[in-house]
Amino acid sequence: MEDVKNNSGQNMGIAALITAIITFVLAVVPCVGIIAIIPGIIAIILASVGLSQAARNSNPRGVLLAGLIIGIIASLIAFSQIFVAGKIAQKADKWPNEIQNVINDVQDNVIKDIEDANISIKVESNGDKVEINTNTGKKDMEKKLEELEKVNTQTNDSVKPKK
Amino acid sequence: MTLSNRKNNSGSKFMAKAKKEPYLLINIIFAGVILLILAYSGIFSPEKDNYPVICVHEKLTGEPCISCGLSHSFSLIVRGRIGEAYQWNAFGMRVFLFFISQLFMRVVFLLISLRHPDIRKQLIIYDCVVSGIIFLISFWPFMTSIVKGVF
Repeated sequence: MEDVKNNSGQNMGIAALITAIITFVLAVVPCVGIIAIIPGIIAIILASVGLSQAARNSNPRGVLLAGLIIGIIASLIAFSQIFVAGKIAQKADKWPNEIQNVINDVQDNVIKDIEDANISIKVESNGDKVEINTNTGKKDMEKKLEELEKVNTQTNDSVKPKK
Repeated sequence: MTLSNRKNNSGSKFMAKAKKEPYLLINIIFAGVILLILAYSGIFSPEKDNYPVICVHEKLTGEPCISCGLSHSFSLIVRGRIGEAYQWNAFGMRVFLFFISQLFMRVVFLLISLRHPDIRKQLIIYDCVVSGIIFLISFWPFMTSIVKGVF
């Protein structure tokens, strides 16, 4: 019975050390680094429980301490991945604005191209053809508007301001 | 005594020895874990793209990380398509070689510690140092990316 008790502390140490080393390898891989927090905590708990058992039975604690230290370091590395992800996410916040600016530029360019373009719409139905040709002619419209404004200002000039 | 009985006896003796000596048990378990990683790389194929492990980093930030494509890279290395493996992840080969070297070391160190139990302590120290150096060389790019990210 006592032998089983002695072994349990040792087994805990082996389990803690293996979990801690696997956690360490996982923690340094950015893809799965954050997940490594879970086995890291398990390794720390196993090592802590094993240490308390070893202290009671005055068993060797080398493996348990190694498991605990590696587990703590691995958990810290895994935890640091949260900060890395957070920093990248902060940078990523600026990207939507940059994308919006690019879209606005493209939209402006397209509108400028369309402004003076000729548009033709053709509709065919049962041999009948309807063709509509039009152009926005923004420049022509602007000229007309300027001419009209000139006429308006000339008529307005004749009105005397009230005192 | 039959052959199967002899095998069972030697197996149970080995297990009893492994239970007494944590170093032996740790070596056996790590060799098993590495074999599982190799099996994972062999089972899941890059053509089907049916890998169960997803990049948490990419899910959270929307940006691929330095270790993205590692599973694809491992699978391609196992299948002997080294050039394609480099395209998926430039550091895939390094990490793969780390696991292969560890598998080799586990087997060699296990055999040495069984044959020469008197030098086991020295062997453990030597194992820790060599494994640590190989680990640092293999995972250095990932570690630097984490440090750069934090600071």
